[in-house]
Formats: sequence, structure tokens, C-alpha cells
Amino acid sequence: MLVKESKQLTRDVFALTLEGQFDYDKVTAGRFVHVLIEDGKAHPLRRPISIASCDSHAKTLTLVYRVVGDGTLWLSKRIRGDTVSLLGPLGKGFVAPHKPGKVLIVGGGVGVPPLFQLAKELVQENFELDIVLGFRSQGDVFWTEEFAQFGRVTVCTEDGSLGEKGFVTAVIDVTNDWTTLYSCGPKAMLKALRNHFAGSTIQGYVSLEERMACGVGACWGCTCLDPSGSLAKRICKEGPVFSWEEVSL
Amino acid sequence: MTVDLTVDLGGLKLRNPVMPASGCFGFGREYSEYYSLDTLGAVVVKATTLKPRLGNPTPRVTEVTGGMLNAIGLANPGLSKVLTEELPWLERQNVPIFVNVAGDTVEDYCSVVDEVCRSGLAQAIELNVSCPNVELGGLAFGVNSSVLRGLVEEVRKVCTLPLYVKLSPNVTRIQDLAVAAASGGADGLSLINTLVGMQIDLATRKPALANKTGGLSGPAIKPVAVRMVYEVAREVNLPIVGMGGICSGRDVAEFIMAGAWAVEVGTANFTDPYACPRIVAELKSFMEAEGIKNLEEIRGCAL
Ligand SMILES: Cc1cc2nc3c(=O)[nH]c(=O)nc-3n(C[C@H](O)[C@H](O)[C@H](O)COP(=O)(O)OP(=O)(O)OC[C@H]3O[C@@H](n4cnc5c(N)ncnc54)[C@H](O)[C@@H]3O)c2cc1C
Ligand SMILES: Cc1cc2nc3c(=O)[nH]c(=O)nc-3n(C[C@H](O)[C@H](O)[C@H](O)COP(=O)(O)O)c2cc1C
Ligand code: FES
Repeated sequence: MLVKESKQLTRDVFALTLEGQFDYDKVTAGRFVHVLIEDGKAHPLRRPISIASCDSHAKTLTLVYRVVGDGTLWLSKRIRGDTVSLLGPLGKGFVAPHKPGKVLIVGGGVGVPPLFQLAKELVQENFELDIVLGFRSQGDVFWTEEFAQFGRVTVCTEDGSLGEKGFVTAVIDVTNDWTTLYSCGPKAMLKALRNHFAGSTIQGYVSLEERMACGVGACWGCTCLDPSGSLAKRICKEGPVFSWEEVSL
Repeated sequence: MTVDLTVDLGGLKLRNPVMPASGCFGFGREYSEYYSLDTLGAVVVKATTLKPRLGNPTPRVTEVTGGMLNAIGLANPGLSKVLTEELPWLERQNVPIFVNVAGDTVEDYCSVVDEVCRSGLAQAIELNVSCPNVELGGLAFGVNSSVLRGLVEEVRKVCTLPLYVKLSPNVTRIQDLAVAAASGGADGLSLINTLVGMQIDLATRKPALANKTGGLSGPAIKPVAVRMVYEVAREVNLPIVGMGGICSGRDVAEFIMAGAWAVEVGTANFTDPYACPRIVAELKSFMEAEGIKNLEEIRGCAL
């Protein structure tokens, strides 16, 4: 695809908007693309990045990612008109709530991006959203205004430099009547959330990360285990989104 | 000019010399969504063991310059599911099947090979004696000539299909192991499996893989693989399936010139899901451009 725009959102987070031929019809929130780095010669493995936003009419796709190594650094240097090769959309995305009612969305750091496309899709289906976004510090915060069009947004930072101080669980009242919770972020956050809601009837979904090679289910590199520890699931194929009782966190 | 890409592996006829490598292609289902598998010479399936295996803890893949390390640890659904759920589907794709077999004991290897042969669902066996990841999971067999010969002799007794022994590169003289496999009764040899490697994560200051070591594959290992195919081809008169870092039709030609009859493509599938059919097309163009009518014309020409 062709780079339409690359925008720096924080000191290390970038939004890349691509345009052109893509299987837009198969995009659902939570699915990801596997990004080729340069021509793949030095970097034989593609990089998995969630679809943060997709506009099938304008034929654009937006990825939001943090620069953490060679691959994402290369990506951050792409300019308008450059070509980036994507494979996808891959994996299984978020499942719509089983019943009407209020929905809670919780994102942490670069787990926030796929929840944007999710919020967009849920609002189109008339769900009422509460959105909690956690970041390390004020300088790491992005897209909170963009999320505000979809629901009530609460921002927290670990150091309290913006919004509420502390982890996301500190601002989430478990007695609220949400039917469904969708979450993406560090594993510690997902685990803390599940514990936070222990005993509640809320239906929880989490999006998981693992190092990937093929991205399509062929190499068994990216597995996680079910709670009994006896069944492996491929995060790239059966996931990355799982209902939180299906996986051990 | 019309070029002939077919290969005759001691009676087993392949439409072309390119097959996806074991462990890099599952049992074929995933990549069949990208192209029709009957464009391939054969499919080599994931290592199959007697019992299902979950493999090693994650992270179990990581990238290094020009390659990757894996410590999957022979994760597979086990013989019974492979025979009932995977091979019957793959058989319908109209492509020869090589079943890669691994085990902890000689008995394990023999039981799996016996049942795969009896099922009638495979065209060849590839004996994985070189997986460096699981304790006793093959390494002990693949690095010692007399142990390897003993294993191949036992497997030979139950194996009614062409028997390929897949050699480990983690040895001092690979041709000695090739000779041992040949004298044990192998019909062919495939090489190379991955080289043992390690990467340290600078952030955690610990090995990047949970298993600590992993098998190195990809373009980085190609010169080692070409050298080993060459060395084995000079000493053993059996069909050789060469592999290690193949990414293009020209890479295939290099392996054939070094003495390979056919090749496997592993890591390149991850970079490009269409790698195998693209490589077949590139090989054809290369042969046309060079005026090479068939693969025999260049096989082992570098020796
Ligand atoms: C399904 C999925 C969706 C993701 N979505 C996003 C997203 O929307 N935004 C974002 O910023 N990040 C996302 N990630 C993480 C992202 O894949 C890594 O940050 C990225 O691969 C790092 O590549 P690099 O070359 O810059 O880093 P390096 O550390 O140089 O990468 C080396 C190798 O490790 C792998 N790797 C490193 N970190 C991770 C990680 N956290 N998860 C998986 N593989 C990793 C790389 O893919 C590469 O193979 C996602 C991961 C997964 C599995
Ligand atoms: C993820 C992965 C899994 C593998 N699993 C197996 C396996 O199950 N059995 C086997 O014999 N070789 C296995 N291999 C080794 C490959 O079949 C091949 O020998 C090796 O990767 C070199 O080829 P390449 O450089 O083209 O990848 C695996 C390799 C990779 C990268
Ligand atoms: S990355 Fe290969 S199976 Fe998931």
C-alpha cells in the first residue's frame, strides 16, 4: 500500500495512514496486519500491528505504533508516496456484545489503537461506551480527544501527570452495570482487570501479544495456553482476541 | 524453449523441485488460502510425534539479522490427529506428502513411521533426527554416527515408503553422518536442519528465547547449507533434498549445482506467503535464460 500520511503522536508513537488496494471488507476491530520491513532481506520476519482505524470508502488504513526497535524505526521513516507491504487482515477480532447495554473499553499504552476501530464499530451499533485509557506519563498520551466522540473517556497516568493517578483498575468501579469489557494492553494490566472483576457477570475480552513468525497459523510460534495449561491456541489465528476465560494470562 | 522442472526421486516423481520445509508450513491448510498446493513439488509437514506436544514456553521465535531463531519444541497434535484430521485433507490437495517424524526413543520413531506407512496417506518419510530443541528430542540420534545408523536400521524395518533422513548441521563432519544414514538404509538425505544459536535481549539482559537457545534458519545459513550439501554429495550417492535460507529461484539453482535433487523452503514462507510458487516461477525463468533444459543438466555440476 502507499503511505498517505505519517504523523508523530508522542515522542515515540506514530500514526501511519496507508491507502490503496486492501481487503477492507474483511477488516473488523482487533484484527491485525503483518508488515514487511524494507524488502525482508535483513528482516525476514514481518511485524504484527493492529488495525487502529479503517475507512473502506476512502480506502485508507491507519496503524498506530510505538518505535521499539529496527522494524518500527524503519516504519517511522516512511513518507508520503512510499510503499509498505502488508499481509492481512489476519487473526480473529473482537466479538460484538451478546446483549444490549453499556460497554467498558480499557486500553493501556500501545494497546489503545485497536480499541479505536472497536469504539467506532460499537457506536455505529448504538452501544453506550465508557472508555478508560492508561498511559505511563503525560508525554505518552495520544488520541484521547479522538476517543471522546465515542463515549465518556477517563485518562489515567501512572505518575499522575495527566488525568487520574495510577493504574486503570483504580478508576474502574466493578459495581457498574457494564455487560461487556474489551481490553488491550500489557499482560499485567489484562490480568489485573480480570482479577478486578472476579465474581462479576461481565463478559471480558482481551487482545494478546506474542512474538510471531508466519502470522497465519502455520509455524506454531505464537501460542498461548488455555487455563488448564493443556491446550495451545495460536494467537495469530485463534486470537489475538480471546474471551478472558479461554486463556491463561 | 520449454524447460522440464520435474524431479524423479528414486521413483517418486515431483512436478518441480520446490517443497515447503517441515515446521514452516503446518499441514498445509493455512497457505492453501494463498495458493493452490498442487503448484508445489511436495509438502513436508510439521514434525509428527506419537503423542501430542505443546512445545516449549514462549517466546519461542525471534529475529536475527538475515534470519530467525526458533525453539518451537516439536509442538504438534500427535500421530492420531495427524492421521485422522490433517493428512486426509492434505491428500485431497493433489500434492505428494512427506511426513516429518520425530521421537524420543527408537520405539517412538518406529511406531509413528509404521502407522504413517500403513495409513497410505503419505508418499515419503522424513526422519527428523536433528531438532535441537527438546531434550532427547532427536539431537542424541543425529550427532553420533553409530546411534544414527542404529535408528535408521530399525526404522527401515517398518518403513515401506521412501525414507529420507534429515541431517543436523551441528556436527563436526556432516558427511560421516550421511554415510551412517546411508548404510542404515536411507533412500535419501535432506539437509540442513537449523544451527543452534542464541540471542541476548539487551533490555532484560537474558536470552531472548524462553528456551535460551534456538535453531537458526533463513538467508544467514545459506552458505553453510550449500557447503554441507556439496560435502555430502561428494561422498554419498543418494538423492539429496537441500535447504537452508532459500529465498529465490537462483538460490535453488545454487543448491542443485552443489548436488541437491530437490529443495525445501522454510523461513522464506514467513517473509512472503507466496514464496514457494514464486520460487518455482523464478527457477523456470532462470533455466530459460540460461538455456538449461532440465535439472539433471546442472545437478552437481559444481562438484
Ligand atoms: C497481534 C499484535 C498486534 C500488535 N499491535 C501493535 C500496535 O497496534 N501498535 C504497536 O505499537 N505495537 C503492536 N504490537 C507490537 C509490535 O508487533 C512490536 O512492537 C513490533 O513487532 C516491534 O518490532 P521492532 O522491529 O521495532 O522491534 P524489535 O524488538 O527489533 O523486533 C524484533 C522481533 O521481535 C518482535 N517483537 C518485538 N516486540 C514485540 C511485541 N511486543 N509483540 C510481538 N512481537 C514483538 C518483532 O516482531 C521482531 O520479530 C502488536 C503485536 C501483536 C502480536
Ligand atoms: C519455525 C520453524 C519450525 C521448524 N520445525 C521443524 C520440524 O518440525 N521438523 C524439522 O525437521 N525441521 C523443522 N524446522 C527446520 C526447517 O525445516 C529447515 O530445515 C530450516 O529452517 C532451514 O531452512 P530455511 O532456512 O529455509 O528455513 C523448523 C524451522 C522453523 C523456522
Ligand atoms: S505466528 Fe506462526 S502460528 Fe502464529
